[in-house]
Amino acid sequence: MGGYGDVRCIDENGIRLDGRTVGEIRPISIEVGVVPVADGSARMRWGLNDVIAAVYGPMEAHPRKIQRQDRAVLDVRYNMAPFSTTDRIRPGFNRRSREISKVTAEALESVVLTELYPRSKIRVEIEIICAEAGTRCAGITAASVALAHAGIPMSDMVVSVASGKVHDIVVCDLNKEEDNYGEADLPMGILPNSGELVFLQMDGDLSPEQFQEAWDYNMGAVSVIHEHMVAALKGGEA
Amino acid sequence: MGIPLVPKLLRAHLAELAENDSRHDGRGRFEGRDLELEIDCLVRAEGSARVRMGDTIVYAGVKFQIMTPYPDRPNEGGLMCSAEIRPVAGRGWEPGPPSPESIELGRVVDRGIRESGCINVEELCLIPGEKAWQVILDLFAISDDGNLFDAFALAGIAALKSAVLPAERYEIGEDRPLGVAKTPVMCSYHKVGGRFVYDADKREELGGDERIHITLGDDDHVHSLQKGLKGIFTAAEFDEIMVEARSKCAELRSLLDQKLAGE
Repeated sequence: MGGYGDVRCIDENGIRLDGRTVGEIRPISIEVGVVPVADGSARMRWGLNDVIAAVYGPMEAHPRKIQRQDRAVLDVRYNMAPFSTTDRIRPGFNRRSREISKVTAEALESVVLTELYPRSKIRVEIEIICAEAGTRCAGITAASVALAHAGIPMSDMVVSVASGKVHDIVVCDLNKEEDNYGEADLPMGILPNSGELVFLQMDGDLSPEQFQEAWDYNMGAVSVIHEHMVAALKGGEA
Repeated sequence: MGIPLVPKLLRAHLAELAENDSRHDGRGRFEGRDLELEIDCLVRAEGSARVRMGDTIVYAGVKFQIMTPYPDRPNEGGLMCSAEIRPVAGRGWEPGPPSPESIELGRVVDRGIRESGCINVEELCLIPGEKAWQVILDLFAISDDGNLFDAFALAGIAALKSAVLPAERYEIGEDRPLGVAKTPVMCSYHKVGGRFVYDADKREELGGDERIHITLGDDDHVHSLQKGLKGIFTAAEFDEIMVEARSKCAELRSLLDQKLAGE
């Protein structure tokens, strides 16, 4: 969040830099089986975001101290490839990727039926190959498709999407400029079948009315994204 | 990578196949897997490529930074090449600091590119002793089904050849192509069932012995060699794969040239 400088993210007709209206999401495409050696995998392209998620397991959990007697543990890693952003990212974990890995794991643990696999581990690897904005949302969404593709039992998939505010206007599915210069960002993880939430973050500044508007944009985007996820798993186009 | 278990049955099976001069996937001894090469596939990288060989999939991305030239080479920029094999790429790859395997991969690919002289490091110098471009080539494996070496080397040179110096973003003139004059290409041979084969997959790597990596430049000049893993090979065996490598490298080089020409 910061000053705009000379950048205008929305013109006087309400059209954004990438040509979208305020309530529109970026183009999405999802395919499965993109990591042939994994048990399940998915690639999600969402605007300029290009995200690959791979699932390995359930497998033996080691070291033994991470084992849980009554359920499987989810070992989730979110990582950005060094060439995924304008300035190169030095390989290795940083505080941001650790936090995103943690909240992603907690979102997915809320839907995966982990009690079916005591003492085991399910590895979920999320790699951001190309980043635009909203990589954590694309990562969670791609990871749920990869889990389903791996045949891991889940109560539902997670659809994640972020809305926010630029120039005091609430917009759905922030792009790079809006994320860099905007005043608020509200990413959510929503279960498409029940409308319940498993992931929620927010930073910035939203009035109660703006908050409700951003919330409703996210809820409204769920069904479109969910259709893409289901179509990819069924082997067709949304 | 943890120390893999090698089932005796797999080794015996591969040895039996070798006796009949066949491979477990039906390929000929020096036949590669299906190859896909995609260039300029990553929007945020200044140069990029994706290579698929069978079920092995890798990306290469080029980024640039401004560096201070090394004191003993004040008129030269730099090239850095690093390979990262994250746990996404396979069951056996673990998180953590780079493993010896991934360091070897990055360094062997780096030597082939560097020693071919394909990048003119003097042209990367902006102000002698003060400011120069550093070229950073990142090799990134998505799916490891064997022979990451060749996949990385091909993706690496393809990404460099498509790279554009982002001078405008750094406010030092106009964007221009990096300019990669030569095309070093690597071919790797694994000893499987007692004889060398080209482009081993994961099972052949697991049930095989030593491997030899050969990087050849234009005009068949040798730029890097590496023998890896435990094993003994003869001069005659090396001669045989060197002859094979010459024709295979030429084949890969013309494929790359075609792709770059947009065919």
